[in-house]
Amino acid sequence: MQPDAPRTFAPAPRVSVARRSATLSTQTLVLALVVLLIVLNGLPFVWGVLTSMKSEQDLFRFPPAFFDFEPTLDNYRRVAATGFLGNMLTSFAYCIVAVFFVLAIGLPAAYAFDRYQFPLRQPLFLLIVASIPLSIGAAALLIPTYIYFARLGLTNTFFVLPMIYAAHQLPMTIWILKGAIESIPRELDEAAIVDGVSRLGVLRHVVLPLSRPALAAASILAFVGSWNEFVAGSVMVDSPGLKPIQPLVYSFIGFFGREWGPLTASATLAMLPILLIFILFGRQFVAGLTKGAVKG
Amino acid sequence: MKSNTAAFASVAPAFAVTGFVLFSPVVYALWFSLHEIRYGSVGAFDGGANFLRLLQDYTLPGTLLRTVIHTGLSVLITVAIALAISVGIDRMKPRAALVAKMVVILPWITSAVVATLLFRWVFINDIGVASYAVSSLVGAEFQPMTNSTGAMTLLIFVSVWKRLGYAVIVLLAGLKSIPSECVEAAQVDGATPWQVFRLITLPLLKTPMLLVVVVLTLANINTVETPLVLTGGGPNDATRILALDVYERAFAIFDLGSATALALVMFAANIVMVLAYVRLTGWRV
Amino acid sequence: MKRTIRLIRRLAAASLLAASVQLGALSAHAETTVRMWTFLNPDGKSPRELALKEIISRFEAANPEIRVVVEPQVWDQMTPKFLAANGAGNAPDIIWVVTDLLGEALASGSLADLNPLFLNNWPKEAVDERKDGYWERCAWEGGVHCLFHSRNYYGVIYRKDFLAEAGIDPDTLTDWPTFIDAAKKLTVRDASGNVSRWGFGQQFSEDRADAQMMSSIILSRQGDLFHEDGRAKWANPIGAEALRLQCDMVTKHEITPPQAVTWSAEDLYEQFAAGRLAMFTGAVVRVSTMQAKVGKDNVGFMVWPGVDGKPHSPAVMAGWAVGVWSKSKHVDEAARFLEYMAGPEADRLWVEVGGQIPASGSVMKEMPDFFAQPSNQYIVKAAEGIADYGWISPVKFSVGGYRQVLNKAAQNVITGGMEPMAALEEAEKRFNQQNRR
Repeated sequence: MQPDAPRTFAPAPRVSVARRSATLSTQTLVLALVVLLIVLNGLPFVWGVLTSMKSEQDLFRFPPAFFDFEPTLDNYRRVAATGFLGNMLTSFAYCIVAVFFVLAIGLPAAYAFDRYQFPLRQPLFLLIVASIPLSIGAAALLIPTYIYFARLGLTNTFFVLPMIYAAHQLPMTIWILKGAIESIPRELDEAAIVDGVSRLGVLRHVVLPLSRPALAAASILAFVGSWNEFVAGSVMVDSPGLKPIQPLVYSFIGFFGREWGPLTASATLAMLPILLIFILFGRQFVAGLTKGAVKG
Repeated sequence: MKSNTAAFASVAPAFAVTGFVLFSPVVYALWFSLHEIRYGSVGAFDGGANFLRLLQDYTLPGTLLRTVIHTGLSVLITVAIALAISVGIDRMKPRAALVAKMVVILPWITSAVVATLLFRWVFINDIGVASYAVSSLVGAEFQPMTNSTGAMTLLIFVSVWKRLGYAVIVLLAGLKSIPSECVEAAQVDGATPWQVFRLITLPLLKTPMLLVVVVLTLANINTVETPLVLTGGGPNDATRILALDVYERAFAIFDLGSATALALVMFAANIVMVLAYVRLTGWRV
Repeated sequence: MKRTIRLIRRLAAASLLAASVQLGALSAHAETTVRMWTFLNPDGKSPRELALKEIISRFEAANPEIRVVVEPQVWDQMTPKFLAANGAGNAPDIIWVVTDLLGEALASGSLADLNPLFLNNWPKEAVDERKDGYWERCAWEGGVHCLFHSRNYYGVIYRKDFLAEAGIDPDTLTDWPTFIDAAKKLTVRDASGNVSRWGFGQQFSEDRADAQMMSSIILSRQGDLFHEDGRAKWANPIGAEALRLQCDMVTKHEITPPQAVTWSAEDLYEQFAAGRLAMFTGAVVRVSTMQAKVGKDNVGFMVWPGVDGKPHSPAVMAGWAVGVWSKSKHVDEAARFLEYMAGPEADRLWVEVGGQIPASGSVMKEMPDFFAQPSNQYIVKAAEGIADYGWISPVKFSVGGYRQVLNKAAQNVITGGMEPMAALEEAEKRFNQQNRR
């Protein structure tokens, strides 16, 4: 079943027949779920943002102070004084570089896995799938991995984190992009090859434009994954200028206690770019996965 | 022949990167785990002593069982709820859908430690705003974590809460790809909404489901932050799962040998599970 | 004439050469960078961080050829990471080691002997007045390999106003029956029968587990928590009675809430800040942050009540052992900074700006006005405790995980219905297995 291409590219208002005939009880159930979710997700978030604007004395006032407190920006000033904004730029650079390499390496690989017939194709692709657990569970081997990279002289360098992030996101990206390329009709690239276009040319002029939404979706997932990475970021680099932001957020849960004010202030700042990305590219994201791995 | 060269040239960089960053540390860790580890450095070769110690640990079977329960139920519940919610959001008007998506992804995009701490503070702690509201309305206190079942239920609840956003986003994208003609055709044939969902929607969601199940399973198995921050593994070990055990071996007891051995065993199991799952679902490579 | 010109030329050339050599030497010297790992960030704004920043800038002003670079680390990963970095050969020049892993750090040979580096040059009195329990732990194979920082002492933190309201004088709480009676008076219930404030907060989660009151009783009666060979020494009548008393506070006396089984040490501080605890098991290093939340003169600190007619029981002490990496390329420069950071001038700054317990008694004598203030009394109490009732975990064998295991024993009694003796037998078995004993 191929998704109809025109609608995916320009989502036209579609009539959901299911909506009309859905029973009232399912609708109520779904509505209740959504309301519950708004409470469960929204309340801690709102509370976190409010906490970031509280002074020491107001933090743990009991009964809890929802709005009747004197808001202050002191926590944000404290966070800024530690160079947090500079580290946000560092993190941003890491993620952009990682995403660039993930796409540059992932797209040709995904294309080859889908379009070429070559020996060991299937086992090699399963090897890519098998490395997903290694990337998601990498934290469990933290210390041996640290010793290994330290022996090789890679720790505390500007490139170690983008390299690790790229490797962590690569398997998933190849998986998603392969799905996207599957849905591009083979006739298109065959026609181009008959016209004398090289394989590289097909990749550039046929596959790249048609899988752009999937590339966007994969990039967003890779960016979010790298932005939120904590364990490698806290261990692999030491110089303050090389630190990404997640360990810095965590550093406010210090040896001398949780400093809720700066902690929530820095966590709020750390979330902003991702919310922004979803607001700006949210539609791309859905369209991309639509054309991508998500093909039925 | 030429095509083979091109194919290998295309996939080679991917294997160079994953091989170096993901696989070679595992090989090093395997070598590491076969030695006696003292004071954080590698000592004499001692065969499988670190692995043998795992076999002798009488607490591990229980921990394994709890890991299976936690991961199994968390994944199942997350997928079920995510399906319902993504169907709901799918039917919303675009602007409402955007807001709903934003709300849904909040816990997923917050750092795991901060998100869990905030959840615990707001909903569980008796000085939290929700617990305070509930206790002043109802007059009774809510203390779910002081018994074993309650603590595990809560851990599963928070695991679902934390990762629901990811599942919703991916499933929602899958729903959007289902052509409305299929649904309409089925309805013309007199299918009930439930039949439409079961016979049309679900089968067409197979690939996104696979993605979601694999990622959620791995994320839940490997989570340290959620149980550590929420319950510390207690009470009476009720929420001690394997990942927490690896963490405590490495950072509380500083037994790097057995921590690494256990992590490797977990990796092996994870890989077998993912591959088996991919095969079982008949996913075409 | 020609000769003179030639001479002048030669002189000029020589002096230029000399100057450039000098300059080169100077700039080469200025290059010496000393790296330090700690959990404090000198750009942070907490009192200790401000103190560290001041200490570094004063040191650099006095030693322009040395630059001190702090690389802040996540505190709970820092020591394992240092030991791994030591093995891999790229550890920092100065390191802060957590008490639990000090034995590992000493045995690995990663900490340089400070005697030849600077302690041998210290006057005998200066060394002698520092010879306390902390100093002993740094003594290793004839040398002294670290100096303790962030000295910490566990006891009871209390709200002065709540105790005053209830007419309780903290100085009279020198045995457990009196203490429990006082805690009952301090436990307040609201109209619906729910407790709105607990008399005595404790925490039994394995996350951020501190040593509890039962340790103080065991230490008072048997002197140690471990056998000579490092096996646990808890499953005996002394331990069982101590654990029973600790758990009775939840189940029988109802002065400690049942949710204590899920509380980490952090929860206690937050509950206290919310006014939900009158007294709780706490670390003296945290008093200053509590003062910021509930009032500068409103937080008191007392050492543990005693048993068997003694006025007080010993408490567990902890801290951070600061040392120089033995394989550092800049051992001398690193030692110079450590000497300054632990010396008398910096000690005053740590006390005045950072609110820390002084490392030497003479600093206390030099600052009588500071220590006379009621808001600084806690430092005096803790310093007395350190001198008279302190116990610090051994370094000859590793004891990692013992507080977690003891807390789990308390969970087993309170929510699992286990007998204290059985719970402690289980705890001993677990601890000995974990540490291969």
